[in-house]
Amino acid sequence: MAVSYISQAVQHVEPAVSRAKFEKEIADFRALGQAYRRNGWFLLEASFPQALVAMAAPQLSPPALVCGVLVDYTNYDAEPPSVRLVNPFTAEPYLADELPTNLPRALEGQAVELPGMPGALQFQQAQSLMQAYGPKEIPFLCIAGVREYHLHPAHSGDTWELHRAAGAGRLVRLLEVIHTYGIAPIKSYGVNLVPQIGFEIPEPAK
Amino acid sequence: MSPGPNKIDLAIIVNGQPTMVEANVNAPLRTVVEKALQQTNTTGQGPDQWELRDASGVELPLDQKIKEFNFVAGVQLFLNLKAGVGG
Repeated sequence: MAVSYISQAVQHVEPAVSRAKFEKEIADFRALGQAYRRNGWFLLEASFPQALVAMAAPQLSPPALVCGVLVDYTNYDAEPPSVRLVNPFTAEPYLADELPTNLPRALEGQAVELPGMPGALQFQQAQSLMQAYGPKEIPFLCIAGVREYHLHPAHSGDTWELHRAAGAGRLVRLLEVIHTYGIAPIKSYGVNLVPQIGFEIPEPAK
Repeated sequence: MSPGPNKIDLAIIVNGQPTMVEANVNAPLRTVVEKALQQTNTTGQGPDQWELRDASGVELPLDQKIKEFNFVAGVQLFLNLKAGVGG
């Protein structure tokens, strides 16, 4: 049975076509499943039109299960797939303020010269590849090859047809982007130590 | 059939789809990208829109000569479309 937590699209493309393309995605993934497992990618469920992949960070000790990725191939490849980050245990999509990673990507640094300061100050900004309309909304992967990107009015000039032949909606490509910006940069666990000093209040001298 | 001298077979995984590319070891790695895209009929985005990584996820410099990587024949390399604009 398909996991159907987020799919809003109605299948209008000949189902046999989308199903065949979906099954090729899954077969290609499974053919190299051992290599992807080394990356920390585990295909948990694949039932047309959705594939659920868990993404772990094997570089950590102990390794961490970071997130799940739910890819919906309804109407593929007349339309691009939908991509959401989900809780890997429940397959429920994360809200924007719950995301374990927002897939930050460094933008080119800007040099700013300030009067009276020698040299220029370098400013480094990051752009999030996960976008949402609000903190309590379900965010989406905002790159070409993803349904929500192409449906967004800001990207009406960058149509799916410009990216389809390059395989922009292929499962492994989408996972690779999430891995590159969300999983591989995790280098260690963050531990915050909060020292506490306990006082025993002495009795007043009698 | 084994490749000739100065040739090596590389298994290039293009967006998850494998293809075997015969490469000249004296050519830059970029030539492998172009050939792999051609063999898998992957079109629409130029070679500079792709990134090639080894099995451990390290991005490989495409202008370096193939022989300098000391690849073993049949090594798997992963070619994926970059994230591009977005966010």
